[in-house]
Amino acid sequence: MNKISIPIGPQHPLLKEPLTMNIDISGERVLGGTLRLGYVHRGIERLAQQKTYVQNVHLIERICGICSHVHTTTFCHAVETLLGIDVPIRAQYIRALMCELERVHSHLLWLGIIAKHVGLDTIFMHTWHDRELALDIMEEVSGGRVSHAANQIGGVRFDLSQEQEAMIRKTVNDLSDKANTLMDVIENEPVLQARTKGVAPLSAETIKNYCVVGPVARASGVDVDMRRDHPPPPYDRLTFNVITRQDGDAWARTVVRAEETRETLKLCHTILDEMPDGPVSVRAPRKVPEGEVVVRSEAPRGELLYYLRSDGSENPARLKVRTPTLPALNLIPKQLSAIHVADIPVVMAGVDLCIACADR
Amino acid sequence: MSILKAVINAFRKTPDTVKYPYGPLVIPKGFRGAIVIDTEKCSGCGLCVRDCPAAGLELIKESRQDYQLIHYPARCAYCGQCEDSCARGAISHSNDLVEPTYDSDEWVVVLKHQSGD
Ligand code: SF4
Ligand code: SF4
Repeated sequence: MNKISIPIGPQHPLLKEPLTMNIDISGERVLGGTLRLGYVHRGIERLAQQKTYVQNVHLIERICGICSHVHTTTFCHAVETLLGIDVPIRAQYIRALMCELERVHSHLLWLGIIAKHVGLDTIFMHTWHDRELALDIMEEVSGGRVSHAANQIGGVRFDLSQEQEAMIRKTVNDLSDKANTLMDVIENEPVLQARTKGVAPLSAETIKNYCVVGPVARASGVDVDMRRDHPPPPYDRLTFNVITRQDGDAWARTVVRAEETRETLKLCHTILDEMPDGPVSVRAPRKVPEGEVVVRSEAPRGELLYYLRSDGSENPARLKVRTPTLPALNLIPKQLSAIHVADIPVVMAGVDLCIACADR
Repeated sequence: MSILKAVINAFRKTPDTVKYPYGPLVIPKGFRGAIVIDTEKCSGCGLCVRDCPAAGLELIKESRQDYQLIHYPARCAYCGQCEDSCARGAISHSNDLVEPTYDSDEWVVVLKHQSGD
């Protein structure tokens, strides 16, 4: 049968963010494909060099619309390391709580997308409804639904009142019930299994060769989680399970994210239980002493790495951000072979695309 | 089967969507809405302008007694940095939603105009 090349994107209903795919097909079989990125490149790393550290916290927040908080947390952690200041422990816990809530809403968002791509709109509706509960908490405590502006260099910008803590506990309990139901649905849903089991499997070796991180790596049996392996505070004091699966297919990725949602909700309770009283920020100098630092943390999509170099002024001399989705995107052409045309959305969604993160 | 249960449950519930703008909208207390200023407290020091990441504020200063603090709502990122940076607690976010506009370039709000005479 003849080979046909189909261009998809940069604007396409399948894609939530712009990228171009050229997919070669022959009948119903996909032969291969290529990706083109860069449509949402905003030059953030360069722009960061022209802004002060204080301004950069807000610039960095706009790298991503889903995991905005973990970006600022990692950036602030890098700056605070260079400054040599100790962030109050309560602030560390508030940061971690926001990071975990972000993970919950990111995973629920993803589970909704994969469900929609295989035609299970009911699950999509439910997960996206539940995701709003996590976003509501974040909006209530920080004042912003997507850009929380929770961090500042030296701590966080708000404290949690007792009523807010009680509200968070109640909503997290509520979300845990919903996550249990969701897990039950996912495990027993024949359509989801038929559409994802055995689709585009990735071996642990491939994952390591392509430096893929996060839930995609964990679904292939690569046991990495920066919260455990290189824990930024306060994760060194927290205990939690890292979820892994061995199969490496789209099904394993679904189960890892769903299980991780449940585990993360448990971690939210642990954080609230162990959160000490005290101040939530310390004053930080505007000028950062000369030096360089690498800081890593676990974003919802995997390891996030910040390299920061300071020349002693108010602006960074160099900021390099390595986001977790870029290596995963490199794997898409590899996965786009020996699958059916109908599996393309499952493969695309499987790596949890975040083009804004990857392009920056 | 559980999905069937979920569907049945959905029939028992009222819709989750908010009827805004035809119904009320509950906005959280700390919501970062439109920028407001207490003109009595503002001294025209420019700390808010220095830290604004989005060029949302401008200070046109002739002298200590003669200055204008200008806000550009369409450029503003509603990040709250100005509120944090202002040592006098003069500038802050209100709880009000910011109305959309077709004319973002022309949208200029003079927060404070202190005239020399
Ligand atoms: S609002 Fe505050 S920071 Fe801005 S000029 Fe007035 S006093 Fe200074
Ligand atoms: S809220 Fe942020 S962007 Fe808007 S004027 Fe204040 S500092 Fe500037």
